[in-house]
Amino acid sequence: MTATATTTKHDFEPKLVAFVCTWCTYAGADLAGTSRMQYPSNVRVVKFPCTGRIDPVFILRAFQKGADGVLVSGCHPGDCHYMAGNFHARRRFAAFRQLLDFVGVDLKRLQFSWVSAAEGGKWVEVVTELTERVREMGPMREFIDLDASEHWSAELADAELKAAYHSL
Amino acid sequence: MTQGQQTESTPLVDPACYAAATAAIRAEAVRLLEAGEVTAVVGYRAGRRAGSAMPEVATTAEAAAQLIFTPGCQNNLALFLSKAKREALPKGKVAVVVKGCDLRALAGLIGESQLKRDEVHVIGVACPGVYGAGADLAKPLAAESLARKCRECKVHLPEGTDVVAGTLPPLPDLAPLEAEELARLEAMTPQERWAFWTEQFARCIRCLACRQVCPFCFCTQCLCDRNRPQAVDTSPRPAGNTAWHIVRAMHLAGRCAGCAECERVCPMDIPLNLLNRKMAQELFELYGFETTMQPQEQGALTSYRDGDDQSFIK
Amino acid sequence: MSRIGVFVCHCGENISRTVDVEKVAEAARGLLGVAHACDYKYMCSDPGQALLKKAVAEHRLDGVVVAACSPRMHEKTFRKATEQAGLNPFLCEMANIREHCSWVHEDRDEATAKAIDIVHMLVERVKRNRKLQPISVPVTKTSLVIGGGIAGIQAALDIADAGHRVVLVEREPSIGGHMAQLSETFPTLDCSQCIMTPKMVDVANHPNITLHTYSEVEEVDGYIGNFQVKIRKKARSVDMARCTGCGVCMAKCPQKKIPNSFDRDLGMRPAIYVPFPQAVPNVPVIDRVNCTWFKSGKCGVCQKVCGPGAVDYAQQDEFVVEQVGAIVVATGFNLYDISEKPKGSPIKGYGEFGHGKIPDVIDGMTFERLASASGPTGGKILRPSDGREPKQVVFVQCVGSRAREKGISYCSKICCMYTAKHTMLYKHKVHDGQAYVFFMDARTPGKGYDEFWRRSIEQEEAVYIRGMVSRLYQKGDKIVVMGSDIAVGIQVEIEADLVVLATAVQPRQGAELLAQKLGISYDQYNFYSEAHAKLRPVECATAGIYLAGACQGPKDIPDTVSQASAAAAKVMTLFAKDQLEREPIVAKVNERFCVGCFACKKVCAYGAIEEKEIRDRQGNLVKVVAYVNPGVCGGCGTCQATCPSKSVELDGYTDEQILAMIETL
Repeated sequence: MTATATTTKHDFEPKLVAFVCTWCTYAGADLAGTSRMQYPSNVRVVKFPCTGRIDPVFILRAFQKGADGVLVSGCHPGDCHYMAGNFHARRRFAAFRQLLDFVGVDLKRLQFSWVSAAEGGKWVEVVTELTERVREMGPMREFIDLDASEHWSAELADAELKAAYHSL
Repeated sequence: MTQGQQTESTPLVDPACYAAATAAIRAEAVRLLEAGEVTAVVGYRAGRRAGSAMPEVATTAEAAAQLIFTPGCQNNLALFLSKAKREALPKGKVAVVVKGCDLRALAGLIGESQLKRDEVHVIGVACPGVYGAGADLAKPLAAESLARKCRECKVHLPEGTDVVAGTLPPLPDLAPLEAEELARLEAMTPQERWAFWTEQFARCIRCLACRQVCPFCFCTQCLCDRNRPQAVDTSPRPAGNTAWHIVRAMHLAGRCAGCAECERVCPMDIPLNLLNRKMAQELFELYGFETTMQPQEQGALTSYRDGDDQSFIK
Repeated sequence: MSRIGVFVCHCGENISRTVDVEKVAEAARGLLGVAHACDYKYMCSDPGQALLKKAVAEHRLDGVVVAACSPRMHEKTFRKATEQAGLNPFLCEMANIREHCSWVHEDRDEATAKAIDIVHMLVERVKRNRKLQPISVPVTKTSLVIGGGIAGIQAALDIADAGHRVVLVEREPSIGGHMAQLSETFPTLDCSQCIMTPKMVDVANHPNITLHTYSEVEEVDGYIGNFQVKIRKKARSVDMARCTGCGVCMAKCPQKKIPNSFDRDLGMRPAIYVPFPQAVPNVPVIDRVNCTWFKSGKCGVCQKVCGPGAVDYAQQDEFVVEQVGAIVVATGFNLYDISEKPKGSPIKGYGEFGHGKIPDVIDGMTFERLASASGPTGGKILRPSDGREPKQVVFVQCVGSRAREKGISYCSKICCMYTAKHTMLYKHKVHDGQAYVFFMDARTPGKGYDEFWRRSIEQEEAVYIRGMVSRLYQKGDKIVVMGSDIAVGIQVEIEADLVVLATAVQPRQGAELLAQKLGISYDQYNFYSEAHAKLRPVECATAGIYLAGACQGPKDIPDTVSQASAAAAKVMTLFAKDQLEREPIVAKVNERFCVGCFACKKVCAYGAIEEKEIRDRQGNLVKVVAYVNPGVCGGCGTCQATCPSKSVELDGYTDEQILAMIETL
């Protein structure tokens, strides 16, 4: 790549999904637009009224459907348009990320942030950082491989199973 | 682990303590039914195999006199009081025999409006422990045949019940196998953990016995059975299995009583309670939350504090 | 099969410069369920909207995606156009390919690919959108005002003047509140009674105001537009309808030595009394604790002397139920009683200041009564202990306020100004007296406030000492005040005749109990919380409940009156229509699947979720399920994310819509 190139092409471009609340982060991303800030185009935004509405299942589903990274972003504590939605979300996701970590999902692929309607710059920073990090990590193979793999093929690993199988 | 080796194969406790609990349960159950205070007593009776036990809904004093408490009494009878299973019982106030872990489930059900405390007469039982899955029920309960959850049990003696049957004998200190296994997994890299669980979940045949036996899986329609929209694949393939077990653990977070029935009934021997244990441990570390033998008004994930940890949020 | 129309906007060149709009429209045409796709230079212009409407009719569209700017910009515009085209407006969605795409990316291929993805997501979403109808809630055009101080009075008068009925509930026997106790008010030094009493009389005479004094709110049920309020009218022992207010009973009552709390216990009153001569209503009340009849069954003088026969010893508490559409909470404040540590409170008390032990250590409100022309001393500044005129008075500010170590970290806001006023009133009445003020800083923002404060120093010669008092003690008939002057860096000792403590402003005792009845939130000090500190300062988060005055935080009179009028304006806005209309983004419960675990109720910040009994035809209880009151639901969706079986669903953001968007990845 020459230094004159304005955009760098990479071998791998990750797919990112951002689950954001409409009042703070969505508006913050709008502000990044009106301020003509630049950031990688990898992110797809799904808008929610509030982070309180975001079900952990959506994060799981996004990974299963091929997302290489997921961002969840909402209002700063105390700024919630609905008073407490982000507080409930904070607990829910604190627990959920521990669970994902425990089953072996690399948490570097899952980012949480508070981005207010005034923080266009922070939005750019968060998205850029996650994009670059996930790009570095490569594709999220785990769930795709899982989807491709078949059910336990009953390898007759031990004698008991073998005997049982052959007696059928 | 010298202490562990010493205690592994010798009988864990004097069997007389189970006999005493049995007598106390029978006396209470007969009294309740004869006095008409309850319409049924949910307890255990002997199973056909020696040493085994099965749930019994006793509606007569004769049946009540057959109730037992033995190390074979593995079932969590709180299950019978969750709405999904309630039709198995006659109408009116019922009594239920609960071990400490079952009592936590019962308290959870009360906290989640599935029953009211005054609808149930709670017979707590001082429980030294029960058999684990695959134990030889013909032999007396020993450390090696003890259920893994019982090794680390903190609720041998129920509190806040209407009566407590039996007394607790002195119990040996045993190696916390489940905590050790949890620590072993936690020490792994995410890739190693993923490999571990992929192998476990790949075996899952989605019989849903874990759901069937869980007192907290009382939903009329499970999210994971829905097909419009389908959030979790329903076919018993690795992708859907993984999603099912993740969603299940998440739904039980802050609610699971730790009875480990899911793990016991799993025909594929998937160590499901590890997931529940992990969530319970995290919620305790993060919020000091524990499931208790008393109903709680707020759950770990239905409440918050202003100062909750947010170090993971940018 | 859906028939979705996709309309891609160039936004002049704002979008088309980086996004190949024709390619986006082309790609949209290839999506399942898309019946029509086109691009246009300015979709939001009249011809653009006409294009949309025409396409809806021509292609029999059942959903619309406008790929243009942010929905925060033009969602309303396009939903309106969609409605005009004959579709439900909620079948229109916007794909944000400007703020989230063309403006933030430079690479044309990447931006185009992203725009196509965004459109795809929104197409999948709109396929699953439901027709939603605006929700109407009937509004009862009566307002309840709780608290009859200046805040409640102002709010009640404003609402009543607008032609709506007001129910005003006051706990004390008379309205007036703290303002009626004040001598003169800063920064103009007009007599508080003179400006207050006409308003009190207006309240009593207003045809639209129903006044319940000596009453308390017992229960509150319902929601915005439709509250039911149960009010306890405490037994006054005097028939309000018969009493003429002649005052003979008070004059003849043999029990006359009861400390009058209105006068901060400096004056005495009989057992049958009005708290102050200008009380509204001018109907006495019997203090049953101190009345001889109620104590021993003997006496009965007041009943004998009462011409109209209004005294009624047998009177019982009465309950009144009122239907109201809005509630203004104006319960005001208490001064922090520093003499002892309140039980069970994190607040620590100020034993070292001798308040309650040394009779000549008083608080600001007691000084107000001493300075008041209608007060116990007739307006003369006299020491409580011996009735002598104090020649040296020490005022101490920030007693309780701004003292984190004592449990209160906030500033009480009014003390700097009222202490300056006290030094002036004192100097006006005791010409040879000297006032000293211990202060941390002087906080005087407000029209004419700083000028007023400076006047107390420059003209009235109050000596301001920057520093705090460490200890007070009695020495003979003097009080020795020990403190530090940090400006000079020396210790100061003043032998004072009278010490006045500017104690902190606190919410009314039991404020939290009322909040629990109303379902509104309050902070760690029990001040009521507004919905938004900046943009919704008079509304509670609970719809239909508004705040006025010091119950929300320390306030002076002008601020209190402004907030009261603002709350009244909010009530009038609500009452301007017969039906309250709101966006139908609310949660709904699937009663068939709800198992009644009420996790939703626990997380609902609005208290919108109720327990609903489902019964069979014989009336047997089948089950109890959650019910979302659409009038109250805020629409955040936290309930749905919490519900294990997803039996509660937020319209506009259903799982089906969201999972379909995720599916497009």
